[in-house]
Amino acid sequence: MAQPAVSATPSKKAVLSTLEFLYKHGTLLAILAVIAYFGITQDQFFTYENFSDILRSISIVTLVAIGITFSLIVDGFDLSVGSTVSLATIASAAALVLYRQEIFVTLLVPLLLGIAVGLLNSLLIVKFKLPDLLATLATMYAINGVQLTYTKGFSIYNDMPLPDGGTAPGKFIPSFLFIGQGELFGIPFSVLLMLFVVIAAHLFLTYTKPGRLFYLTGENQEAARLSGIPVNRYRTYAYVISGFFAALGGIVLASRIGTGQVSAGASFLMDGVAAAYIGFSVFGAGKPNVIGTLFGSILMGVLLNGLTMMNVPYYAQDIIKGAILVGALALSHWQKK
Amino acid sequence: MKAIEKAFGTVRVLNGVNFDVRPGEVHALLGMNGAGKSTLMNILAGAILPDAGTITIDGTPCAFSSPREAKQAGIGLVVQEVDTALFPGLPIYENLAADELADVKHHPIRSLREEKKWAAALLHRVGLSIPPTKLVRDCSLHEKQLIVLAKVLSSNARYIILDEPTAALSEAETKRLFAIIHELKQQGVGFIYISHKLKEVQEIADRLTILRDGRIVYQGAAGSLSLEDIVLHMTGTKQAATAKQARTYGSEIAFAARGIKIDKTSTTVDIYAHRGEIVGIAGLVGAGKTELAESLVAHRKTSGEWQLDGQHYTFSSPYEAIAAGLCLIPEERRKQGLFLPESVQTNLTVRLLSWLSRWQWISRMKETDAANGLVRSLGIHPPSPSTAVRHLSGGNQQKVVIGKWLNTNARVFLFDEPTKGIDVHAKQDVFSIIRTLADEGKTVLYFSSEFRELLEVCDTIYIMVDGRLLARLPAAELTYEQLVYYCSGGEIDGPAGRFRDTVEKSGVVYS
Repeated sequence: MAQPAVSATPSKKAVLSTLEFLYKHGTLLAILAVIAYFGITQDQFFTYENFSDILRSISIVTLVAIGITFSLIVDGFDLSVGSTVSLATIASAAALVLYRQEIFVTLLVPLLLGIAVGLLNSLLIVKFKLPDLLATLATMYAINGVQLTYTKGFSIYNDMPLPDGGTAPGKFIPSFLFIGQGELFGIPFSVLLMLFVVIAAHLFLTYTKPGRLFYLTGENQEAARLSGIPVNRYRTYAYVISGFFAALGGIVLASRIGTGQVSAGASFLMDGVAAAYIGFSVFGAGKPNVIGTLFGSILMGVLLNGLTMMNVPYYAQDIIKGAILVGALALSHWQKK
Repeated sequence: MKAIEKAFGTVRVLNGVNFDVRPGEVHALLGMNGAGKSTLMNILAGAILPDAGTITIDGTPCAFSSPREAKQAGIGLVVQEVDTALFPGLPIYENLAADELADVKHHPIRSLREEKKWAAALLHRVGLSIPPTKLVRDCSLHEKQLIVLAKVLSSNARYIILDEPTAALSEAETKRLFAIIHELKQQGVGFIYISHKLKEVQEIADRLTILRDGRIVYQGAAGSLSLEDIVLHMTGTKQAATAKQARTYGSEIAFAARGIKIDKTSTTVDIYAHRGEIVGIAGLVGAGKTELAESLVAHRKTSGEWQLDGQHYTFSSPYEAIAAGLCLIPEERRKQGLFLPESVQTNLTVRLLSWLSRWQWISRMKETDAANGLVRSLGIHPPSPSTAVRHLSGGNQQKVVIGKWLNTNARVFLFDEPTKGIDVHAKQDVFSIIRTLADEGKTVLYFSSEFRELLEVCDTIYIMVDGRLLARLPAAELTYEQLVYYCSGGEIDGPAGRFRDTVEKSGVVYS
């Protein structure tokens, strides 16, 4: 793409560089255009409350999408993140409501479960060499089944009736609810958490040795192996990280809604995938990257927020999400060629 | 085929070549790599057009503009990689019928039973007694080859080109193939037989044509030419041995590997090298060099025992082999050696990251310094570490692949066809890097089928044939002809063997 076209005429060159400019900054322009459009047509759009709302709403998607970004970096794919979000939501709710645990256990259990899911995925993909899409599709179903079986299909909430006649002993404690509902310096805590994770993951992937090796493993696995990189170890790490961030997203979700809803995480899979793929094209990176993923989920968030304001029903919003995903996939594919 | 000429750009590949096959004979076409064999056969098979010359089949002049026309005229081609000509997931009978199905104009409508019967008859013709419903995927390589042959016969081919048919066959399978060729000869089929295995050529061929640099240097009956003479014809003028500087190397064994299993050929290999020695592994394409090289760094599934500087190891992954001091510069450099979208710097510093980082944090300044140093000392062009490697030429890419090992703990360097696809200038650069490495006391294993280059750069040469190392010979006592002869299956009887004598006695000089 950056190769100079020797024989190209000036006009062709101009077309080429316009295309390149669009490719590099197209996503940012799209975000700005969407913001401008909603800003003009919707009075309520340009308010602090609304922007804080948008950021709050994308914080969970971004966490999940960063996990997906890790699996994409090692040239893998993780479809099980949505189920893992659900599982973590139920696990933290159960710990609080059914077992009266304090904050520490409530956070630890879902995170460990997320890591376990990642280990299971990497066992199937790295050890048994199953295709990543199929293996994680299978775990996606299995994990969804696990959280449904555990709850027998019912949500977990404060003072819920128990089968033995009494009510649940515990409740959502304030320190847990702070994660999804609290504010620090006027900024929602979940947004701060998201920004912290984005920055940390970005620095890790861009400036550290393991971050570099993640990318090299994904770019050319055979060359990486012949360069002495323990590729299987890095692929395992990637799926574990993916599971971990999905679980973190699940915790924030549980805290945000204050109940443990079954299958509440399902929608985060496709939103996260879309965000990560949109991220390919941000600044013309051409590869999965955390900053791009953040912009991807901002684009999705702004769009959905604006559409909701315009009273577009949520089921019609899926059409737009799908269209964006197609566009993002096409763009990342085009870059690869 | 008369007076065939072909040039690619300014390079003349064929210079007025006359070639003919009679019904019921096997005509072998021989020559070194680049002699023009494949071009000639591609013209005959209709894949490329000649610049000049005519093709006549059974008295009728033909001009093929596509492989289909050549096929209709009765030319059949059994390619070397038979897998590319078959559909692995389909049963044999459907594979055999595939060409006819593709022919829209007149594809015969047959019942399934008839089709299977028809296929069984075809298989019988090539001596295969396997059910036609067997999936191609489950067939052995030998069977697949015969299936392709049967497919070619089904299109009424009267002249069949066999391109390296025995390259991957065992001795017994080769015998069986030859028996089938004999039988088809009786039925009036003419064969053009291309092979590097000269002994087999002598066994099967009725006539020989030897090409060298696009010209015919010999054409005549096969029986009247000895193996030694064939090699001389193929290699041409006996070159004055280039005055090679005698290199000295250490006497202690720095690297040894015993019982290294090569999965593909089910053979085991013992190999050793002294400190500072450049050891060549010479073999034809398909002799198992790449398999051996990749097994030695445990990139392929293997077993065996390694020894580096007196310490014993067993490796089960390249990670372990590399940690112990081995490294492989692989044959497929773009696929196996490089991170194409990444910069030269990132590619060069893969192995140096631990030194360049503190608490896992890579120091950009140190990294650029390290990369700059390597770029300068290797003469990589353009001399900027930030260029993406995919924009570099083949030679410069190869320098990057080598460069990543230079400042590491690697003590034993395995080069697999390191001069493949790079220009003459870059070749010399690669050679001088290799010599420098050896002079620094590193041990070099050099896997190649470029025999002149092996003689130029190596101190010692192993002869590799069909997954086995047959001999370990000092390079200074080897001639190019000998090397070709040994690797083509000629017997090795010591440095003062038969071949050497004939060369000196006959003293043939070809112009």
